[in-house]
Amino acid sequence: MTIPAPSATCVLLSGDEAIARGAFEAGVLVATSYPGTPATEILEALVQYPEIEAEWSPNEKVALEVALGASLAGARALVSMKHVGLNVASDPLVTASYVGVRGGLVVVSADDPGMFSSQNEQDNRHYARLAKIPMLEPCDSQEAKEFTRSAFEISERFDTPVLLRITTRMAHSKSIVELGERMERTPTGFVRDVAKTVMVPGHARRRHELVEARMNALAEWAESCSLNRIEEGDRGIGVICSGIAYEYVKEVQPKASILKLGLTHPLPSGLIREFAEGVDRLHVIEELDPYLEEQIRALGVRLSHEPVSPRLGELSPTSVARLLEAGKSAPRAPLPDLPPRPPVLCAGCGHRALLTVLKQLKVFVSGDIGCYTLGVQPPLEAMDTCVCMGASLGVAFGVEKATGRSDNIVAVIGDSTFIHSGIAPLMDIVYNRGATTVIILDNETVAMTGHQDHPGTGRTAAGESTHRLPLDELVRAIGVRHVAVVDPYDMKQSKELIQAGLRRSEPTVIIARRRCVLLDREERRRARRIDVERCVGCGQCLTHGCPAIFDKTPEGEKKKQVEIIAQLCVGCNVCGQLCSAGAIVEEPDSG
Amino acid sequence: MGEVTNIAIAGVGGQGIILASDVLAQAAICAGYDVKKNEVHGMAQRGGAVVSEVRFGRRVRSPLIPDGEVDVLLALEMLEGLRHLHRLRPEGVVIADELRIRPAVRPPGAPGYPEDVVDRLRSLGHRLVLIPAAELARGAGNARAANTVLMGAMSRHLQLPEDAWQRSLRMCLRPSLLEVNMRAFGLGRQTQDI
Repeated sequence: MTIPAPSATCVLLSGDEAIARGAFEAGVLVATSYPGTPATEILEALVQYPEIEAEWSPNEKVALEVALGASLAGARALVSMKHVGLNVASDPLVTASYVGVRGGLVVVSADDPGMFSSQNEQDNRHYARLAKIPMLEPCDSQEAKEFTRSAFEISERFDTPVLLRITTRMAHSKSIVELGERMERTPTGFVRDVAKTVMVPGHARRRHELVEARMNALAEWAESCSLNRIEEGDRGIGVICSGIAYEYVKEVQPKASILKLGLTHPLPSGLIREFAEGVDRLHVIEELDPYLEEQIRALGVRLSHEPVSPRLGELSPTSVARLLEAGKSAPRAPLPDLPPRPPVLCAGCGHRALLTVLKQLKVFVSGDIGCYTLGVQPPLEAMDTCVCMGASLGVAFGVEKATGRSDNIVAVIGDSTFIHSGIAPLMDIVYNRGATTVIILDNETVAMTGHQDHPGTGRTAAGESTHRLPLDELVRAIGVRHVAVVDPYDMKQSKELIQAGLRRSEPTVIIARRRCVLLDREERRRARRIDVERCVGCGQCLTHGCPAIFDKTPEGEKKKQVEIIAQLCVGCNVCGQLCSAGAIVEEPDSG
Repeated sequence: MGEVTNIAIAGVGGQGIILASDVLAQAAICAGYDVKKNEVHGMAQRGGAVVSEVRFGRRVRSPLIPDGEVDVLLALEMLEGLRHLHRLRPEGVVIADELRIRPAVRPPGAPGYPEDVVDRLRSLGHRLVLIPAAELARGAGNARAANTVLMGAMSRHLQLPEDAWQRSLRMCLRPSLLEVNMRAFGLGRQTQDI
């Protein structure tokens, strides 16, 4: 691509925003997603377009199904999610491949190499092969927009969902995009065709044949489509790459010959062979798994290196220079002995109060995905497992079954995570006569990804008022008889409720409800301060890791000296409840 | 500076790092350059170490700055500047707020906040410009505009016309905050290198 000249129609967009723009220009009517870094901003950008029906779905499986339905009714639809979300949506994905589309259907997977905000760094390119669908990988925001438009055309031309795969660096890097006009499309409506849309075995066998024929047709098209291109340069070195890796190669080896793959499933085998024959040394540069490398080797093409795909973490221009032996001097090492600065739960976070109680009770905490996962860090250390969205309940129940005890384990899960995939395991606990104590940490938002709405907030993605799912009524309807709602700032009551739940031989659900402190900044209570006369220096107020409490004890001193930073303190008084000396008091009224 | 100018902006989540990098990127666009930038979203922002990188020039490829090619390191907090010091070119410059923010938690065995942080910012031989940003921002009318003061100080070291900065500030800031930030930027731009 060429860089567009700066003008009013050229703007700086992130990869996520550019995908949203591409969808808008392609005439998308329905967009769905579940929040997850680094994909969240796609739907946040889409909801700004009044022409598009954009929703936060309860989870990624639902999101994909809604988008598929829209497609079958003839509308163009886009569904976006983070990489692990595609695991949740993989069931409809693989069969949607058989069903195909009416209006174009594009599935965006935002992978997270390096795990900036994820529990694994799986390489979702494998899903394209598993589901037998074409896959596009853009290298910058302009391409993200163009590829999104192309993906809809490919989807309709080949009757298939299309996977648009990006990574964190693509999603959150910004570059200049030239804006285009929206193409208005009117959906055809649903046309009955059961051989295509009802996947019983007899129909599915026939559809599978069509899927294989489609992939053959796509492989042939891949040889000549403009998404793949050879950039002729120095014949001494040739590099095959895709996505953001292409930009790193151009940065460190601008003279190399490059086969840039925009369509990475199916691969153009003829083009790859032709390129390989024209260069002396051939490299494949890719992030995470040797996805391209293995397929290229399987063609009988010889690479000039042993497997070099690092498999771990994300690439950078520095690491690509090393892989290509681009002759840059070795980079300097970071300075030694720098204290780490990990993210922490905010001052006044309700999660901290509840996790502090769990720490005091010394119970096994089966954790889940959300801000509260930060509670695993010292000094709180109040989490023992965290696997995937909704896993806390099932894992707790499994421990309970294996040990025969339910008096020393709790499951903790956020409100949105519970709605996403915690409801089914709660039914399991009730149905199979478990006695698990489940704590729903209800902060009335999806906090970690930047405060999105969900069915429990009573607001849609567009900010409109809607039915608010009452979590207490829901869990009662599932069959939980012991349900309580508590303010986690009240540590005494929280503790009593949890202890009662642990003693009980039937399930208990405690909803610890306290709105995310970042949403209610204006409602701060009076800040606290340390009364140095009363302080005994025990350090209890440092055991819950509040960023507003500052340990200023000189090196070698046993007696702790602490200070509360008034600008950060929101007055939750969790530290006050930990202090046995009564030394934490309200700041005098400054107003 | 090479064909592409590279700026790394480092600090603590919540300090306004992303806004600062947006202003810089927009100023470079206003000056007619190709621009790429990267930033961190999500969990890492919760009071953790945050860095955003901006690159501008005739044609920018990677959104990440290759190690050893940072021209200007803008540190909104000194320890966070230290974390990226090794990525500067030998002739690169460090512009740092005098602010020290201790990490909220100190894991067992982790070193404490380096008391000699200023000396260490000079330890690789780079030019260091220290700015009392909060004090200057208070002078402009709002201590929270410290990041804009620092942008002003940084603007002295970048080949972008003043008009491009002014236009960018107008595009990136809410109208109610514009006046204070324009003043803050001006105070930063007037600072002298020591």
